[in-house]
Amino acid sequence: MSGQFVIAPLLVALVTAIATLLTRRFGRAQVTLSLLGGLGYLGAVAWLVSEVDPLGATNVYSYQVSGWQAPFGITLVADSLSAFMLAFSAVIALAALVFSSAYVDTFGQRVSYHPLYHFMLVGVTGSFLTGDIFNLFVWFEVMLMSSYVLVVFYSGPEHTRAALQYVVLNLVGSAVMLLAIGGLYSTTGTLNMADLSRRVADPAAFGGFSVAPVLGLSALLFAVFALKAGLAPFQFWVPAAYRAAPAPVSAMLAGVVKKVGVYAIIRVYFTVFAGAAFSGLSLPGLSVPEGESALLAFYGPILFVMAGASIVVGGLGAVGRDDLDGLLAYSSIGQVGFIVLPLAIAATATDPEVRVLGVAAALVYALNHGFAKSLLFMASGAVYDAVGTEQFPDLGGLSETAPWLSGGFFVGIIALVGIPPLSGFFGKMLVFDAAGRTESGLGLPVALFGAILTIAYFSRAWNRGFWGEPSMLVQHGDTRFTLVAVVVALAVAIAVLGVGFDVVMRAAEAGAHAALNRQEYVDTVLGGVESSGGGGHA
Amino acid sequence: MTQFVLAGVLGVLFALGTFLVLRRDIVRVVWGVTIISQSANVYLVTMGGLSGSVPVLAHGGHGGGGHVTDPLVQALVLTAIVIGFGTTAFALVLTYRVYEEHGTIDLLELGEKA
Repeated sequence: MSGQFVIAPLLVALVTAIATLLTRRFGRAQVTLSLLGGLGYLGAVAWLVSEVDPLGATNVYSYQVSGWQAPFGITLVADSLSAFMLAFSAVIALAALVFSSAYVDTFGQRVSYHPLYHFMLVGVTGSFLTGDIFNLFVWFEVMLMSSYVLVVFYSGPEHTRAALQYVVLNLVGSAVMLLAIGGLYSTTGTLNMADLSRRVADPAAFGGFSVAPVLGLSALLFAVFALKAGLAPFQFWVPAAYRAAPAPVSAMLAGVVKKVGVYAIIRVYFTVFAGAAFSGLSLPGLSVPEGESALLAFYGPILFVMAGASIVVGGLGAVGRDDLDGLLAYSSIGQVGFIVLPLAIAATATDPEVRVLGVAAALVYALNHGFAKSLLFMASGAVYDAVGTEQFPDLGGLSETAPWLSGGFFVGIIALVGIPPLSGFFGKMLVFDAAGRTESGLGLPVALFGAILTIAYFSRAWNRGFWGEPSMLVQHGDTRFTLVAVVVALAVAIAVLGVGFDVVMRAAEAGAHAALNRQEYVDTVLGGVESSGGGGHA
Repeated sequence: MTQFVLAGVLGVLFALGTFLVLRRDIVRVVWGVTIISQSANVYLVTMGGLSGSVPVLAHGGHGGGGHVTDPLVQALVLTAIVIGFGTTAFALVLTYRVYEEHGTIDLLELGEKA
């Protein structure tokens, strides 16, 4: 099946980016175009989602660029997994865009903000939709290049320092990704994800290449994805970069860009490499299981350790912070751990039902964290805008002077803590449910510890920032309507998602099925290309 | 023979890049990153295999017969080089900004200010 709608979001974001670049002499027109573009992007994504239909059977649509058939040309693929990720990203992107049109100063907006924002969106969309592993690298670069500039946007001393760290780290990451991709191409003879999936599952039919190198190369690739997702031990760039970026950009980085790394892990390991079998491979100190989905079983413990470490490092880091943005940045390290924990369980599970549950739990938690954390970052931006500081000692009593803003912040907090009926409750519940289904049961105490830390640092933030006597600065602060309105709108969205959770759950399950249904993905993308035994080259 | 030479050169390049990335001077760090990404490009070319003749020549039947070098890796490298140019330029501009803001390009001093 093919569909032109697959490229619609990509085109809308690209056209908007160029249009805002051309109209930067006309401030008003640029902002209007940018907002219209954000709305159009949401529309295009809605069109894609309605065509892919995440609530029905899992459909896969592919678009072959320039009509070059799959393993040879560049392919864009939309299935329930990418539709799910795109859907919540588009909502957050629009909210952050509206927020930034009021938050970022006029000069900054005119010079570069809007084009960069939309180019970042282009990169995110491309990463979600691409069906080609080298293309994934290119979209990552598009996304990162814009985010580098957005991190250094204010270009004060701490911003340049944070950006330098972020840039150097990601450049090294890109080089490592190139190494992995080159190695995979040389080993398997293809770059197309569907073709790759087909070949690693049955190497004998494609020239009988050795699958063993794929394990090591996939580990290289994994390090890069973990870096993008900010998983421990690759989390150290997160706090500085998130604190340096403007609030709506931090909201996008935490809510959407981080999820690209998570998406890549799900797509590449659960769809592409899942079929690889390593017979007769033994590594000193590491056990490589035999048989079907051996690679997943290999990554399960690794994912588990990284998720646990992220939860602990992020949680403990957040408890000790003295500023709101720092606390949120550390918290987002911990919350990514919560997204990856069910993935680890899904990877080790042998029962297909548990595997679906694990991936669905990760998706639901990703959606919840996307909404709640972007809300919190924007609320923190609104606080900064009103009060002029984010240090807890100077804050206090915001709930009296800014009740709506505080209410929105509170909804964000309890969504991440996991209070019913908000979306976070179901996310947490699913994570615990998945963690409880493993034989070892080690997941439960880790998740529980993380949950307690979450309550600890958020109640601290609430107590010190929002309760009590308003401080001098807070008394003289004035909140702006647009900023508060966006925060409240996101809070309402979180509540609605929680109440109408049935729909979210079905969409997440469809996404999980799409991620795990290798055969359908391969069949659709390759569209009946006969498996000619080409195989690796000399 | 070419394979061994290239493998050696790649090893040296990666080692040099890593050495420079670990320096205190930001300009050297940027150099290191550039060298690493360029050696990744060279590595990418070698991954296409070195045997065979030039595809265009072989196509016309003049050159090395049926056996041709894989042209895809060249396309990949071209893309990677273009991206590398952009990121290197940005990293250099950023270095200049860091110097303007902090008055130093020594990473140790920069860290102490944090």
